[in-house]
Amino acid sequence: MGLTFMKGLAGMKGLAGLAPMAVAAVLALAPAAHAEPKAGGTLTSFTSGFRSLNPAVQSGSATGMPGSQIFAGLIQVGADYTIEPYLATSWSVADDQLSVTFTLVEGAAFHDGQPITSEDVKFSLETTKANHPFGKAMFGHVAAVETPDAATVVFKLDQPVPGLLLSLQPLLMPILPKHVYGDGQELKQHPRNMENVVGSGPFKVEENNPAERLVLVKNENFFVKDRPYLDRIVFPVVKDPLTRVLMLEKGEIDLAPFSGVRPTDAKRLEAARGVNITTDGYGAIGYIHYLELNLRNKPFSDPKVRHALALAIDTDFLAKVIFGGRTVPGTGPLHTGNPFYSPDVPGFARDMEKAGAMLDEAGYPVGADGTRFSFTLDVPSWAIQAHVPMAEYIQATLKKLNIGVELRRAPDFGTWVKRIAAFDYEATMNGSFNYPDPTIGVHRHFACDNIRNVIWANTQGYCDPAMDEMLAAAAVETDIEARKAVYAKIQRKAVEDLVFIYMPQDFTATVYSDRVGNLPSTPFGALAPWYDVYLND
Amino acid sequence: MLLQTLRKSANAAALLLAVLVLNFAMIHLAPGDPVETLVGEMGGSTPELIAQLRQSMGLDRPLYVQIALYVGNVLQGDFGHSYYYDQPVLDLILARIGPTLLLVVTALFSATVIGTLLGVFSAQRRSSWLSHLVTVLSLAGFSAPVFWVGIMLILLLSVAVPIFPIAGMSDALGSESTLGYVLDVARHLVLPALTLGLIYLAFYSRLSRASMLEVLGSDYVRTARAKGLPRRLVIYKHALRNAILPVVTFAGLQFGQVISGAVLVETVFAWPGLGTLAFDSILRRDTPTLLGILFFSALMVVVMNLATDLVYRRIDPRIKTR
Repeated sequence: MGLTFMKGLAGMKGLAGLAPMAVAAVLALAPAAHAEPKAGGTLTSFTSGFRSLNPAVQSGSATGMPGSQIFAGLIQVGADYTIEPYLATSWSVADDQLSVTFTLVEGAAFHDGQPITSEDVKFSLETTKANHPFGKAMFGHVAAVETPDAATVVFKLDQPVPGLLLSLQPLLMPILPKHVYGDGQELKQHPRNMENVVGSGPFKVEENNPAERLVLVKNENFFVKDRPYLDRIVFPVVKDPLTRVLMLEKGEIDLAPFSGVRPTDAKRLEAARGVNITTDGYGAIGYIHYLELNLRNKPFSDPKVRHALALAIDTDFLAKVIFGGRTVPGTGPLHTGNPFYSPDVPGFARDMEKAGAMLDEAGYPVGADGTRFSFTLDVPSWAIQAHVPMAEYIQATLKKLNIGVELRRAPDFGTWVKRIAAFDYEATMNGSFNYPDPTIGVHRHFACDNIRNVIWANTQGYCDPAMDEMLAAAAVETDIEARKAVYAKIQRKAVEDLVFIYMPQDFTATVYSDRVGNLPSTPFGALAPWYDVYLND
Repeated sequence: MLLQTLRKSANAAALLLAVLVLNFAMIHLAPGDPVETLVGEMGGSTPELIAQLRQSMGLDRPLYVQIALYVGNVLQGDFGHSYYYDQPVLDLILARIGPTLLLVVTALFSATVIGTLLGVFSAQRRSSWLSHLVTVLSLAGFSAPVFWVGIMLILLLSVAVPIFPIAGMSDALGSESTLGYVLDVARHLVLPALTLGLIYLAFYSRLSRASMLEVLGSDYVRTARAKGLPRRLVIYKHALRNAILPVVTFAGLQFGQVISGAVLVETVFAWPGLGTLAFDSILRRDTPTLLGILFFSALMVVVMNLATDLVYRRIDPRIKTR
């Protein structure tokens, strides 16, 4: 990114790795060093559809990708998780770690010309906290927001929140105009989430036709000097993955993050002239696949049975065959791109003989009918290109262990959600996002108090006081190395306890043409602002 | 005539009412819960919000009450509120119905006219290359699935020989003049309309060929020829008028099928019509939107059938006297 500033996350202390000291930055920044960026041009991306352009009330990449272009954030996240200035030029963390003071850039204005003030920042945080699915996880410990003057905003915390700054970039806390959204209407259903959207970011909405396309144009009054480079970004609505592949091949799409291409399509696209593929830019999102077992009921309440399954399922094979070798086997609850990832976890090399012996030991010998036991494996309706073949593989490989698996494919998302959130299942293929700070995307699966009838909570029913203790410690540990050490222990315990059986990580790719310069490839990738992106001739 | 038209219109209205009630009952009895889907899309929720949503959508009431309320609202022009888009269903449908009608009518009209002409030409020269072409085209049109035809046409006419755009209805940076816009839409329309219409083109060419052959062998055509009438007059005035009757009948009946085909074609070509909206609504359990689309699809079919009836009467005066 062009904003060249800040120290890395590693080796730093304080909130999100920031030392408790004032941090100054200059926003008139030098362009990226690796190329000669050019101003102008229209970049074509794509969208598969969205119901809102406001990331404060709607999570997910469909809203987040355009949303991060329309709305600015207090900070942004650079390469290696560096925290970089954005709307906030500087910030300081109090010695007791219980307050953070931000200074806003001078002269920043919303798309309608109204100035961006500390009141808008306060409103944005309160809105996100109340309406975003992770609002409480991110900002639950922000007890108050003070606005001593228009350019200063102070977050008062009731406990240290190490991941706070990571949550202040536009994807997770967009800066909203209070004069538009503060009219008392319900925020989730606010009409301005889709019509006449007034943002604070590098691009303005020119056309929003949910049936056909979203067009964003350059915000000439953007507060970052000489940015954005692009004149216009077009997001045509293209739902069919094969059509997208053909459009990419022909050059009708310049940049396709979250492209949904399969490994076979990737091979085809790599062969196309001027088309490139990268898996960079998804570290902070960290999507992982896993086999989720309902731990409340037999046989999966027995760790030996779960261990036997882990020994029978060859994730190396799955990574090679299903994902064409374009991903790696998952080792634990954290994605390899997460800053707190630790490889120091037990492995499960395939050993069918040992798996059979463990099942015998657990009291599940082969019965007279030739089986040890049978179970139903739910297969969700989403990410079917990964879930279906993985489920079919599990069915086939467990048959060799004399375990019967009946696959139950959900007709739609709601049906699957209903079964899992009601704990009315035996096992399911599943997957979820880590998000950069584990308090958002990881704790939810392991905390005892999150066993709730909500999807992607602790639906499997795992509860261990020792784990809870470690989660609580990690949530407030402000020393980055000490925090990494706690998360290493958490990962180890999660794998030892076989809370989930981890499948290969997802193959998520960005496909882009040679025309695209300064590809958004920081840990937040395409969900970060694109004001440095430019087009070559 | 007026009485007959009124009677047919009353029948059509009764049919639409039945469609409304049956669709509502079937969708609400099918598995899948719109509230669960909606909260899933939101990323999670609480039991309180789920209960609140269920209540606000009226899903906590008995089915017969829901049906009665729905029919009553529809009669007043209120098709409900989309769960997913959070907009009135009527607004959503009116925004999308134009592109679908454009696609469907273009496909069906082209297929009928071109198919009939091909059939007529090939019937006159049974062993000509055109006749063989019609046969091959029919076989291909019938055998190939719509989505496959779409992808093949894209590969051929958009990727290999880049004549037409792959997807969408217009360019984002298209011409600002009306004529420029019309030409832009026409350029985008060619491949989806061809994909959707190919199977019907095949069908109508076979149908009109067979019908024409039968008519050309009939006594009155032979008489007309014996009287020395010009060949063109015999074929296009006397023979074609009778030969075209089955084509008109089928075109009316098949309108519903063409709309069904549009769901796939619109998805492949990212055409911003009712088909893609229907596809999304099914996946998202957006029942008010889906019900609205089904109703409007039924309405289009009913109107088309009435229109067919009128055209039929115009072509064949014998119908009027019955």
